Amino acid sequence: MPVDKITQVSQTKPWHGQIPVYGQYTYGIAGERFFREIKANGRIMGAKCSSCNLTYVPPRIYCERCFSELTEWLQIPDRGAVHTFTVSHVDLDGNRLDEPLIVAFVEFDGVHGGIVHRLGEVEPDQVYIGMPVEMRLKSKAKRTGSILDISYFKPIRV
Amino acid sequence: MRKVAVVGAGMTKFMRRAHETGKELAWETSRMALDSCDLTLKDVDCVVMGTAPDAFDMIHMKHEYLSDGAGAWRKPYVRGFLGGGTGVFTACQAWYHVASGLFDVCLAVSEEKMSSCLPHPQGAFVTCWDQFTESPLGTSLLWFFAWEMNRYMHAHGITEREIALVSVKNKKNAIEHPCAQLPGEITVDDVMNSEIMAWPVKRLDVSPTSDGAAVLVFAAEDVAKRITDKPVWVEGAGWCLDTMYIGQRDLYYPKYVEYAARMAYDMAGIKEPRHEIDIAEPYDPFSYKELHNAEGLLLCGKGEAAKLTVDGETQRTGRQPWCPSGGALGVGNAIAATGVMKVAELFWQLRGEAGGRQVPGKPRRGVAQAWGDEMQVGTVIVLGV
Repeated sequence: MPVDKITQVSQTKPWHGQIPVYGQYTYGIAGERFFREIKANGRIMGAKCSSCNLTYVPPRIYCERCFSELTEWLQIPDRGAVHTFTVSHVDLDGNRLDEPLIVAFVEFDGVHGGIVHRLGEVEPDQVYIGMPVEMRLKSKAKRTGSILDISYFKPIRV
Repeated sequence: MRKVAVVGAGMTKFMRRAHETGKELAWETSRMALDSCDLTLKDVDCVVMGTAPDAFDMIHMKHEYLSDGAGAWRKPYVRGFLGGGTGVFTACQAWYHVASGLFDVCLAVSEEKMSSCLPHPQGAFVTCWDQFTESPLGTSLLWFFAWEMNRYMHAHGITEREIALVSVKNKKNAIEHPCAQLPGEITVDDVMNSEIMAWPVKRLDVSPTSDGAAVLVFAAEDVAKRITDKPVWVEGAGWCLDTMYIGQRDLYYPKYVEYAARMAYDMAGIKEPRHEIDIAEPYDPFSYKELHNAEGLLLCGKGEAAKLTVDGETQRTGRQPWCPSGGALGVGNAIAATGVMKVAELFWQLRGEAGGRQVPGKPRRGVAQAWGDEMQVGTVIVLGV
């Protein structure tokens, strides 16, 4: 095939493109209630499917397994445990971070699912799978109805 | 369903291809695949296209843009899209187009061009998480791999050094692949000492982003037998999706890969995959994923893949070679094209045409698998001679 193998963009005439869209999306029926609860009442809610005996966090209006409509909501404890974690040393563009970022998946007793979030007030080498953590919320005045109304999860000191 | 064979294959060198557009890569490779079995575009009844996110090319519905390079002019044409699982699914999709009886010859084209996406193709994945509960944290693709790898190590007591052996093996296997991007002799210490991206994932645990294309030609039994004396039959195909929420599936074990594999194995009449399959190409975008996926493919028990690797059973000369191609880690990870590359590797291996990579002992059956979407799709194909 008569194709030169050029690896440097600087040797070619490039077209500069982007996909310029933005939008405003709806949180949806379940999402709006979930975030209003965090903002107003500082609590995480889940939605329960009685037929599958699962409590979904984040909550949904349907069960993905049996397709039932979920109408039973309940409060999730603000204490959970680290299910898994990573210590990230790079940002989204691959640049090194000044301070490593600890991000974890936090699970709660009796809940199917949980919350992906940062860990705070802890050093990277102190984190372990199974570590008990609790939610640290922003003050009510600063909450906007976002997952970032939770500042982070921090270890429970005993 | 009709019997279907793979009768031709082609692929480009995986590398940064700054000059050609994606459709030029698709054309170059489609021609190569057709030439390999002495067919022309006139012999092709339909085309399937596998290519991953539109954002890589900054063009929405990029399969339409790619269509003329893929040979789709005035032909039935469709794109399958399962994120990282796309490549192997492209082969599955080509298979059912022909197995259904609707078409005799199907061209399965895959193309990926990641180097144009700035500042890093990872940016294309920033907006693929749950937009309310995951993306606002600045969620990175790496985190998901790191969470899963950590959970996998924790569940079975597997070490980072054992996992590093996969990178060592695959990059070494790739030395014999003429299309490889990152072949080489490295050591476990090299992997361990490479920079930490998101612990426990280190630089050399990760496959390189790449530009490339890979194409296969599928034909119905009577046509295949006219085209070639060495048809490679599709014995089974399967695919399966798990929940999109990371916390609502078992991170330590890919159940959805098992379900996809069982679908393919049932079709192929395989009862004991660990004994009835000669070579495997599990998807290895990260070193631990080869082990994780191989367990999902039922090539060993849960948590046993690391030991098989340590014992050398998965080497090219081992009992059941895994990624004799060099895999995504060695050949490069041009997402959709890498999945098709894995199926092409089975094609070449089973025909005895893999050159310096040839697995000894005349392998008769192989399985290829890809994985992706929101880290929860498995796509599987079994080929045999």
